Amino acid sequence: MKTRARPQEWATGLDPLAARLADGDPLAPKALVERHYRELYRYAFSVLREELSDEDAVQDAFERAFSALGRYSEERLRAMRLRPWMYRITLNVARNRLRQRREVPVEDLCVEAASDEDRESIMDTLAALGGLPERQRVAVTLRYLQDMPYAEISSVTGWPEGTAKTLVRRGLMRLRSLMVEEPKGGGQG
Amino acid sequence: MNERFTERDGELVTASLRETGARIVPARELAGLVAGVVAGVTDYLFGVESPLGAVYVAAGPDGVRYLAPASSEEEFARRYRERFGRFVSPAQGDEVAELAERTAAALAGERVEVPLDLSRATPFQRRVLEVVRGISRGEVRPYVWVAGEAGSPGASRAVGNVMANNPVPLLVPCHRVVRNDGSTGRYAFGAGEKVRLLRAEGVSPEEISGSPYVATPTTGIVCHATCRNAKRIQPENRRAFRSVREATAAGYRPCKVCRPVVAA
Repeated sequence: MKTRARPQEWATGLDPLAARLADGDPLAPKALVERHYRELYRYAFSVLREELSDEDAVQDAFERAFSALGRYSEERLRAMRLRPWMYRITLNVARNRLRQRREVPVEDLCVEAASDEDRESIMDTLAALGGLPERQRVAVTLRYLQDMPYAEISSVTGWPEGTAKTLVRRGLMRLRSLMVEEPKGGGQG
Repeated sequence: MNERFTERDGELVTASLRETGARIVPARELAGLVAGVVAGVTDYLFGVESPLGAVYVAAGPDGVRYLAPASSEEEFARRYRERFGRFVSPAQGDEVAELAERTAAALAGERVEVPLDLSRATPFQRRVLEVVRGISRGEVRPYVWVAGEAGSPGASRAVGNVMANNPVPLLVPCHRVVRNDGSTGRYAFGAGEKVRLLRAEGVSPEEISGSPYVATPTTGIVCHATCRNAKRIQPENRRAFRSVREATAAGYRPCKVCRPVVAA
């Protein structure tokens, strides 16, 4: 799995894809979707934990993104930092969807089909993550599941880097007590 | 007191988080998912030959939305985004290929229906565009007629504006709409281009200019000069008129096929 590469040019400086979108390159929209689909899916899944609904959430995020980008001026488009911007939208979509179905118990959200241990341990970790206060959950997810540097977490969330670090540290401490001290009982078949 | 365990056990936790992140991948193939998103968020474009030369076409699921000449795909895509606020991707798939084929055939003069998506137009613009769409090859109609047929008699000038901003020229043949006096008038791609297009369709702009209506004493009917009924009038029976009013004053009644506007 090769999506965990170090930040690339587009993650730090000017985004060449933003320029291509502004220039009217017809291949640019697909390139943007291709570049971010996996990581945004990973984020949506970590929050929502439902395959179909996650695809749906990512689709929704891209629809919102392109609908906004379509109306931006060429100059504004050219200067966009697309990755953190895509994350901001996905964070919002995922948060809204999570709120809308608050009453659904966590166990029911797991995918029935795959019953292997990998799946269970992933779901356990995500369930633990889901038990964190929202800001800690977002910070930890971006830092470790999405492998995002603090500078970018800051640009996605608007929190100062120090705040992001504190939230991650607190989140990890809490997770540790959830995951290490109170290991979940055996699987329930 | 938390420092030590955070460092050691923290590593366990972060390793498990990283592991989890690495394992979350879409259940379905990425290419299909990406294609699905792209189809939803962009319209598609294709290039096609037309009487105006090479043009580009942008279409959505409901049909063609925009047609224009452009120096490159990029220029066309920029203009499309400016006008419609949407991006375009290269056309893909059988459905699109069929639409491209139909469009090419229609632009080559064949009688083929091309689905148009005029949903961005106002109701008035849409009515006008639909009326103009019905003007056959080889015929022309004045602005005043289009206004009347669109249910807004007197809105000639507004019709002119709709023509000037026609998103799908040729497919909605705005070049077949002429001034009320029969002169060809302006065209988004140049007045000369309009004359050339009409000639290629068998219309003689000189004949219509100044005398856009023709009547015949054999039937007592007055028509637009390019009405299919008018074309059958023998040369010795042709009576040219500047306006329908003059013709009716001379005792002719308006043709029921081309419905010339009496007020004009």
